[in-house]
Amino acid sequence: MTINLLGLIAAFTAFFSIWFGHVAVRKIESISPTIWLPSTIFAILGLACEWLSLEASSLQIATVFGILGITFLFDGFELNRQQKRIIKGHAPANPDNSRHAKILKEYASATTLDLLKREPMGLSLTIPEDARLLEK
Amino acid sequence: MSFFGILIGIVTLFIIGLGFPLVIQGERRFSYLCWPYMMGIGFVVIIASVFISISWLSAVAGVLGATFVWGSTELKEQAVRAEIGWYPYGQRKILPPFARIIEKWKAPHL
Repeated sequence: MTINLLGLIAAFTAFFSIWFGHVAVRKIESISPTIWLPSTIFAILGLACEWLSLEASSLQIATVFGILGITFLFDGFELNRQQKRIIKGHAPANPDNSRHAKILKEYASATTLDLLKREPMGLSLTIPEDARLLEK
Repeated sequence: MSFFGILIGIVTLFIIGLGFPLVIQGERRFSYLCWPYMMGIGFVVIIASVFISISWLSAVAGVLGATFVWGSTELKEQAVRAEIGWYPYGQRKILPPFARIIEKWKAPHL
C-alpha cells in the first residue's frame, strides 16, 4: 500500500487557514476603520494564491495555494458578515473604532459585550439574563 | 498550467459550507458534548486520506477531516448561541455516550 501525503497536506492547510481566517477576520474587522480596504487585500491575496496554484509544478503546492486562496477570498467576504454580527450584537463592538462607535450609536442591538464568552449551561436563556450573567 | 489546486479550493469551499449545518445540527441534536466524537471522526478521515492513492480523493478526504476537527472546536460556542436564542434550542437532545465524563473535560475552542 502506498502512502499519499496529499490528504494530510490538504488537511493541515484547510485547518490552519480556517483558523487564521477565523481569528484575523474578527481582529481586523474590530480595529479597521473601513471594511473595503481589508476585503480588497484579502481578495488580492486570494487571487494571487489561485494564480500561484495554477502555475505550480507539483500537486502538493497547487493544493496548498488552491485551498489558501479560496479561504482568503472567503475571509474577504466574511469581513462584511462580521460587521453584520456587530450590528446585531452577535459579536462585541469596539468603541475605540470610529465605524463601530457609529454602529453603537445607530443600532440598539449592538453591544460591547461578548455574549459568547462563557461556558454552555445546558438551558435556554434570554439575552438580558445572559448579559447579567456576564456582568457578574 | 494545472487547475487541480483551484478545483480542490472550490471543493474546500463547499465542504467548509457543509461544516456550518454540521455544527448547528450536531449541537442541536447531540449537544456540544459530541465534540470528541466529531474530532475523532475528523482524525480518522485525515488518517484514511493518507491511504487513498487517487490524489483528488485524498485531498478532498483531508479537507473533509479538517472540517470535522474544526467543527468540533465550534460546538461549545454554538451551544451558547442556541442558549441565548440566536439559533433554535434543541430541547430533546440525545446525549452521546460518556456525556457525563466528557462534561468534565474542557471543550476546545480556537
